[in-house]
Amino acid sequence: MTHFDVFGLTPALELDVKALEQQLRALSLEFHPDRFAQADARTRLAALEKTTALNDAFKVLRDPVKRAFYVLKLKGVDLDSEASAAQVKMPLSFLEEVMERRERLEGLKHARDVEQARAMADEIEREKSAALERAKVALERDDVPEATHQLGRVRYLSRFIEEVEALEEEALS
Amino acid sequence: MAYSDKVIEHYENPHNVGTLDKEDPNVGTGLVGAPACGDVMRLQLKISDDGMIQDAKFKTFGCGSAIASSSLVTEWVKGKSIEDAVTITNKDIAQELSLPPVKIHCSVLAEDAIKAAIKDFQEKRARRQSGDASAVKQPTTQP
Repeated sequence: MTHFDVFGLTPALELDVKALEQQLRALSLEFHPDRFAQADARTRLAALEKTTALNDAFKVLRDPVKRAFYVLKLKGVDLDSEASAAQVKMPLSFLEEVMERRERLEGLKHARDVEQARAMADEIEREKSAALERAKVALERDDVPEATHQLGRVRYLSRFIEEVEALEEEALS
Repeated sequence: MAYSDKVIEHYENPHNVGTLDKEDPNVGTGLVGAPACGDVMRLQLKISDDGMIQDAKFKTFGCGSAIASSSLVTEWVKGKSIEDAVTITNKDIAQELSLPPVKIHCSVLAEDAIKAAIKDFQEKRARRQSGDASAVKQPTTQP
């Protein structure tokens, strides 16, 4: 059963998250373990499993990035699993760019230049959005290699942004 | 999850962090990444013309295990021939550092980095030799 199945949806890259949240509330009430307190063990277990499945599915589907990675996984490429992600080779020029940016960020960390780091993160945030959009187009077309490449980019760019966020947290404390 | 003592040792006091001149014909650069976490590792080897690894430097942006794996391989490959260096496997690295299963990919990354660096050196050398017409070996004709 896929995360989409749990909500009775067909796999899609665009979702109405508000509607999904309402659906989660309604279904959570329907399958709430309290309502099955008097039921037999098997029914209680089934209700509990349904509740867990709903929450797990919601966590993935509510987030456009996680949702795109999940749709790619349904097409056979799991970028979250170490073993399968290891098969994905990003172009050298991209890795060089990542390395160079991480080195620049390291320099900014030492200089405690949070402002400049934020400027880099903003630029990378835009590239990440563009890569996500391209990934979605590729997934719609069933172009798995291109979707894998673009979501690979999203992964590295997200990692950079996380580093900047950690730096900002540190500067605040 | 607790890191092993050896990981902590390398993480806190990494060996051979830095860069070598990537334009140097005797320097091979291996750059690898892990799409599951978005981390990158660069390993550079200075290799003599007769294929001995004289120096090794690394730069890794990643978790403690990735840093420890790359630090360890720089120690291991120094003084080895490239033929011996390519026989280092991720299993050797993972075992030496007692990496837990979820961190095995860090040792895979380090193994890939060694191979990529040596390949880069070999390609550079081949290009140098083909540029120098007198050094070009004639391909053996197929029987």
